[in-house]
Amino acid sequence: MDLTTLILIALTIAAGVASVLGLKRLKGEPAGGSVGRWQRGLIWLCTLGAGALFVYRAVWVHDVWQPLHAHIDGLLLIAPLLGATVLYLQHPSRIPGVGVFAGPMLVLILAWAICASAWTLKLFDIDSVWKAIHLASVYLGTLLFAMAAVAGVMFLYAQRRLRSKAAPVTPSPEGGRRFASLESIETLIIRTSALGFGLLSLGLVTGLVIVSQEQTRLGPGWWYSPKVVLAAAVWLIFALVMNVRHTASFRGSRAAWLSITGMALLLATMAIAINLPDLATPTPPTGGGP
Amino acid sequence: MRVVMVGLSHQTAPVELRERVALAGDALSAALDTIGDRYPGVEHVIVSTCNRTELYIARPAHEPPDGDALRALLAEVTGVPIDELTPATIQRENEQALSHLFRVASGLESMVLGEPQILGQLKRSYEEADARGAVGSVLHKVFQDGIAVAKRARHDTGIGEGRVSVGSVAVDYVRQVFDHFDNKTVVCVGAGEMAKLTLRHLTKLAPQRLWVANRSVERARELVEQLASKTDADSPPIGARSLDDLDTLLIEADIVVTSTGATDPVITRSRFKPLLRRRRGRPLVILDIAVPRDVEPTVGSLHDVYLYNIDDLQQVVRQTHDQRSDQIAACESLVREGVRSCLAQIQHRDIGQLIKALRRHMHDMGDAERQRTMRKLENAFPNGDRATIEAALDELTHRMVNKFLHMPLKRLDQRDPDAPMAFYASALRRLFGLEHDDDAPSASPDASRDPAPKPDASATDSADAPPERVEPEHANQTTRGDG
Repeated sequence: MDLTTLILIALTIAAGVASVLGLKRLKGEPAGGSVGRWQRGLIWLCTLGAGALFVYRAVWVHDVWQPLHAHIDGLLLIAPLLGATVLYLQHPSRIPGVGVFAGPMLVLILAWAICASAWTLKLFDIDSVWKAIHLASVYLGTLLFAMAAVAGVMFLYAQRRLRSKAAPVTPSPEGGRRFASLESIETLIIRTSALGFGLLSLGLVTGLVIVSQEQTRLGPGWWYSPKVVLAAAVWLIFALVMNVRHTASFRGSRAAWLSITGMALLLATMAIAINLPDLATPTPPTGGGP
Repeated sequence: MRVVMVGLSHQTAPVELRERVALAGDALSAALDTIGDRYPGVEHVIVSTCNRTELYIARPAHEPPDGDALRALLAEVTGVPIDELTPATIQRENEQALSHLFRVASGLESMVLGEPQILGQLKRSYEEADARGAVGSVLHKVFQDGIAVAKRARHDTGIGEGRVSVGSVAVDYVRQVFDHFDNKTVVCVGAGEMAKLTLRHLTKLAPQRLWVANRSVERARELVEQLASKTDADSPPIGARSLDDLDTLLIEADIVVTSTGATDPVITRSRFKPLLRRRRGRPLVILDIAVPRDVEPTVGSLHDVYLYNIDDLQQVVRQTHDQRSDQIAACESLVREGVRSCLAQIQHRDIGQLIKALRRHMHDMGDAERQRTMRKLENAFPNGDRATIEAALDELTHRMVNKFLHMPLKRLDQRDPDAPMAFYASALRRLFGLEHDDDAPSASPDASRDPAPKPDASATDSADAPPERVEPEHANQTTRGDG
C-alpha cells in the first residue's frame, strides 16, 4: 500500500471521528464545548492533510505541474475545499451546524479517493485546454453540488425538528446560534446550486467541444450515452433548484430533496464516466502515488 | 482582611432607584477616588450595571469602614439620600460576600438567569478599579477567581441556554425558520394581553411590517398604540386592520400570532389551503396562543406551515425549567467550590503573615527582657565573662520564645479544615495587639461560622439591612443583559 493511500485512510478515519462527534453535538452539548472543538480540529486536520496531499501529488509525484493527473487528484482537490468551506460556514453567524452534516460527505469523498488510489487508478489524458477546463469545472461543480446536498440534508433535519415541535436550538452564551435557520439553509442550497450550475454548464459545453473535435470513448451515439443523459438530468435539476424561490412549487423540502437527488445522479454520472470502457487514456495503471 | 459587599440590585430596589444609584464613566472614577482618599489602604471595586450597583472592599479586620460607613459613602457618591438607600441595600461579608460575587459573575443573580453580559461588566469594573490603584492582593484574587469560576460554570453547565417564557420561546421558533426579518411581515390576529406580550418579543426582531387584526378595529388600534409607545424609532411600522382582511393578511404574512377569544377556529384548513398558492411557497410560522385554539391543527400539516400552539410553547418552557434546576445545582456547586478554594488561599497567605508578625513580636519582647536581665547581671557580676553570659541569655531567650510559640504556631500552620482558624487568628491578633503589626492580608473569618464574639458592628449584617435576597425572577425574562 502506497503512502497516498495510507494518508488517505488516516484522513478518512479522522473525518469519520469528526462525523461521530458532530452527531454527539446534535444531542445538545453546550456551545463551545470540548466535543465541538475536537470536531473542528479534526475537520482542520482533514482539510490541511488532503490539501497538502493534493499539492504533494501535483508537484512531486507527477513531476510536472498538472494538478488533475487522475481521478484521485480531482477528489483530493474537492476534499480540502469542502473542509475549508465547512470551516468558514460553521461560524455562528453563518450556517452553524453545517459541519455535522458535511462530515459524512467528507468521509465519502476521502473513501472514494482511497478506492481511486488503491484499486481504480486511471490517469487522465489531458492533451487540450478543453479537457483541462472540462475536468476542473466538473470537479469544482461537484464540490458545490456536494455542499448543496449537505445543505439539503440539513434542511430536512431542521424541518423535521420543527415539525416534531422539538425545543428550538437556543442562542449560546456567546451569542451565536447552534443551528442555522431554514431560510439560511435554503439560501445556501440555492447559492451553491447556482454556482455549481454555472460550473457544470461550463463542463457540459467543454464536453461537447471535446466530442465534436475528436473521436471519443463515447462513440457516435454519445448524445444518448448514460453519462451524457445523466449529466443533462443533473444540469436540469440544479437549474430548477437555483430558481426555487421563483417557482412556488419547489421551495423548502422539495428543493432539499432535489439537491440530494441531483448529487446522487452526479455521483452516478461520475461513476459511469470513470468506469466506461476506454474512458481513460491507454496509459496503464501505475499505482496511486509515491 | 475582611471582604465586605454593600449594594443593591434588581432584587432589592426598583428601577427608579437603581437608575439613580448607577455609576458610570467619570462618576465611577470619581467614586473610586473618593473611597481611596477617604480610606487609604482599603481595596475597593464598584460593580455598577443597570441592574445592580455593588461596592466590594477588602480591609484589615476591626478597621473602618463598616457597613454603615459604606452605605453613607455610596449615598454620598451617588447623591441618593441615605434614608432612601439603606432599606434597598444588602450587606455581605467574607464567605458570603465572595459567594455573592461569584454568583453574580456566573449569572445566577441576574434577571435573566445565566445571561453572559454581566461577566464582561464585572471584568470592566475590576479593570477600572485596578487602573485607579484601588485593587490589592485580596480583591485581585477574589475577582480573578470569580471570573474564572463564572467562565467555567457557563462552559460546563450551559446555564445561559434555553428560554423561560412563552414569548421568548415563540421568538426562538421563529428564528429557527427565518434568518432575516427586514423583509418579513408579522400579523397578529386578536388584541388580547397574551398577544401583546408575544408581539413585544417579536418587535425586537425588527420585522418589515406588523399588522394587528381584530374584530373590533378600535381595540386593534389601542394595541397598536401601546406597542408603538413601547418601541423605538427603528421599530417596524405597526398598523390595525379588520378581521375581514384576514385572507389578504394570511397571504402577506410570514409570522402569524393568533390570540382571539373566539370559541371556534378562526383559521381553518379549508380557508387557508386555497391561499397557499398565492403565498408562492413562502414558509409561514403560526403561533396559536389562544385557548380555545384559533387554528385548526390540520393547518400545521400543510406544506411549509409551522404551527405551534400554547401547549407546544409551554412544553418548551417546562423543559427549560427542568434543565435549569440541574444546571443551577451544578453551577452552585462550582461556585461553592470556587469560594472555598479562594478563601483558603487568602486565609493561608493571611496566616503566614500572622505567624511572621507573632514571631517578630515575641522575639522583640524576648530581646527587651534579655537586655534588661543582662544589665542586672552586669551590675551583680562586674567581673563576669560578659560574652559568655550574653550568649547564654541569648540562647535562653530564643529557646523560650520558640518553645512558647511552637504549639500555637504548629496549630495555626496545620491547615486543618475543621480548625477554627479564623477564631485563632482573630484571638491572637487581639491578645497580642497585632492588629496593626501585620499590614498584609489577614485571616478571613467566616462571618456565619465564626464562634468569636463580633468585635465591631461591621462583623454582622446591619440590623436595618433589607431582608435576604429573593430568588431570581424568571417569569418574564428577556434577552436583556444584567445592564
